[in-house]
Amino acid sequence: MPIYFAKRIGLSIIIVLIAVLILFSLLHLMPGDPASIALGPRATPEIQQKYIEKMHLDEPVFVQFLIFTGNVLRGDLGIDVFSERSVGATVAEQLPYTLSLCLAAMGWAALLGIPLGCFSAVRSNSLLDRFTGVFSVGTIAVPSFLVSVWSILVFSVMLRWLPAVGAGDAGDIGDQLVHLILPAFAVGLGWVGYLARMVRASMLEVMGENYIRSARAFGLRQNTVVYRYALKVAILPTITLIGIGFGGLLSSAVFAEIIFSRPGLGRVIYDMVLSRNFPVIQGSVMVMIFLYVLVTLFADLVVAWLDPRVRDSL
Amino acid sequence: MAITKPTRRRFIASSAALGAVATFGPYMSFAQAQSGNSLTVRFYGALDSLDPGYNVGGSPDNDVLWAINPALVHFGKKDGQLTYRPTAYVESITERDPTHIDFTLKPGFQWTNGFGELTAEDVAYSYDRMSTSEWKGFFEAFETVEVKDKYSGTIVMKTPFAPFIVSTLSSGTGVILSQKATESVGGKFTTDMPATCGPYLYEWKQKQWVKLRPNPEWTGPKPAYDNIDCIFITEDTAAALAYEAGEVEVTKIVPQTYARYKESPPPDSKLEVAGALQYMWMGMNTENPKLKDMKVREAIQYAIDRDAVVQGAYGGTVEPSYGVVCPGLVGKRDQSQYSYDPEKARALLAEAGVSGLELTLRTLNNQERVLTAQIIQANLADVGITVKVIPLDSGPFWEMGQESKGDTWKDLELWIMRYGAGTDPYEPFQWFKRDQVGIWNWERWSDDEFEELYQKGISVTDPDERNQIYIRMQEIMEQTGAYVWLAHEPEVYVHRASVDVDFAPSGEMQLLYFKPAG
Repeated sequence: MPIYFAKRIGLSIIIVLIAVLILFSLLHLMPGDPASIALGPRATPEIQQKYIEKMHLDEPVFVQFLIFTGNVLRGDLGIDVFSERSVGATVAEQLPYTLSLCLAAMGWAALLGIPLGCFSAVRSNSLLDRFTGVFSVGTIAVPSFLVSVWSILVFSVMLRWLPAVGAGDAGDIGDQLVHLILPAFAVGLGWVGYLARMVRASMLEVMGENYIRSARAFGLRQNTVVYRYALKVAILPTITLIGIGFGGLLSSAVFAEIIFSRPGLGRVIYDMVLSRNFPVIQGSVMVMIFLYVLVTLFADLVVAWLDPRVRDSL
Repeated sequence: MAITKPTRRRFIASSAALGAVATFGPYMSFAQAQSGNSLTVRFYGALDSLDPGYNVGGSPDNDVLWAINPALVHFGKKDGQLTYRPTAYVESITERDPTHIDFTLKPGFQWTNGFGELTAEDVAYSYDRMSTSEWKGFFEAFETVEVKDKYSGTIVMKTPFAPFIVSTLSSGTGVILSQKATESVGGKFTTDMPATCGPYLYEWKQKQWVKLRPNPEWTGPKPAYDNIDCIFITEDTAAALAYEAGEVEVTKIVPQTYARYKESPPPDSKLEVAGALQYMWMGMNTENPKLKDMKVREAIQYAIDRDAVVQGAYGGTVEPSYGVVCPGLVGKRDQSQYSYDPEKARALLAEAGVSGLELTLRTLNNQERVLTAQIIQANLADVGITVKVIPLDSGPFWEMGQESKGDTWKDLELWIMRYGAGTDPYEPFQWFKRDQVGIWNWERWSDDEFEELYQKGISVTDPDERNQIYIRMQEIMEQTGAYVWLAHEPEVYVHRASVDVDFAPSGEMQLLYFKPAG
């Protein structure tokens, strides 16, 4: 296990470095002069020059990359060129909102999707299984931004039960939870379907295994067989899926953060891409990449812990 | 009637349900904007900097600045024309002659954080600072402020500059800072102001909200709303939904929403056009070989149906344009020297001996501009000109006519352009002067009379004379054949009928003048 752990961490570091290099290159390949885009077409040459110096845009790209990497290693994500705030402070302020949204979305999706998958597998090919199949595919197919808009229309505009925008008052947990319901619903809905289909397929495979037959032969109750023995093995690919899917959730969160006007890293990145505020984009995406790799790593380690066979596969 | 037998599982489920109701119950119907003496409005961008010398300007920076800091004047309107109004801080403000403006402040206005009273020295410091700031272009004609005593002084101009009060002092560039407070933080700040002196104090949370709360030290007239919450909603559709859900009482809307609300407005709502200080046109490169012939350019002017653009691309929500001077300003034209006449366009092309002409039309790739381009494409096809529409992102679009950014300007043929104008008619003309060829004058022409009139327009103060000057300048522009005027896009707000609103012509909210209707 320690060797697997070390190898997996080494791989994660390489992934982070490659991702940062790609991110940096892509940002600088974007068409248009960053100074005139960021400051607007009417900025005077003096203001543009100041911006260029502040952003080190007059340095060769590889020098800019080295400056950025060096700063990151020192824990300095840079300074927002417009507000002159530390990017680290902005990220620290926004990250909890994105994380709470992703966790809430994945949380409710798992709470519903996993039992739904088990239920379908146990009653495979029944009418209810077919219904849950159609429901699952339906939830996967509907884009989360559409769910966001429709949920606002129904629950905020028509029924006026839930707030349409914002994240709630700081310090008021109840208010924040209420503001989380619609975005988490919109972001998590597709995952109900994914998880249900995944768990169903794994369960069907596991339910045919000899040890399950033996458990039944010993007269164990159906629920004990399904939830205590079968699900424990069938859940492994789902854990990996959740880990990888977390990256997808972060992207879905961008839509939700924009449509529900929630604070969060996704929205920050979106706004800053529009204004070519490179330090904030680099810092925020860097944290997103790190987070994504961390969750994937965690999922892999959990799977390796649960299933020793995996440890030899890297 | 069947009686359900209580079980442990049912008990737990019921307890959970009751718990949820108890937790969320108080919030379930709260999705409403504040009522009573409070107001909730939408901001569409984040607060970047409240330093008038070094911010990007516009909303929301100016909206907040006007509510928390002093100024000598704010925007006003009289008989549909833009003017200025002295603020609550001012005893008097008088234009003594074209280069001297006398002002006297009212005593007793205190800066927060113990930085003392608002004085004429603060006015002098603020304007001197602006004249060397990133907004120094607005203060080119400004010389100094002569301080007479604690509360009064004279603004001295190097040369007469007619738009100084309405254009410079009324906008965000006219906001006054505390000299002591600003110097105490090294002369610069961003969103944390060292001292304010307005009816409101502000708190803010980045990307979320700004809250304006009563300033206990304020001795001026009390604004109508004690509390104003400004929520950041960047996405326009989300803002309209938030308005319909009752979460904000005032929000800016985009043309599509404006068209929808004009047909069927939300209940208890009013639509308000804050201003239309944008001018959109189709430009032609007069140096491009295909467009060098004046007759070809004139043919294109006659071939394009402006009304079709107004209706087709904007659902009739924009005002047709006849020049660069925007509605509400001196020099605004009511007609141009050409009108939609495809027959005449064909005749002019025949006269020029041109057939099978193929042109490119570049535009920003947003919905309205692309629709406009498609209408123009159809209009020109009707007279035998084939147009290829090239939609572009803002990056390459804003560079394509600038010589310093590459060679695209040489291939430039037609393009759809929109500029924002200031509150004085002189502003749009500065981009079409001789020294702007290859910078912002992408049509690449120049004219001696135009240059002379530009200088004259700045120094003359008589509105009738200025009106004649700016009308003539637009005629000169039009006679180059390089312009097809299209539309003035308005800044439109929807608001509850119970709120009386007050906007700057550039679209910012003058929140301290908002009040309950009736």
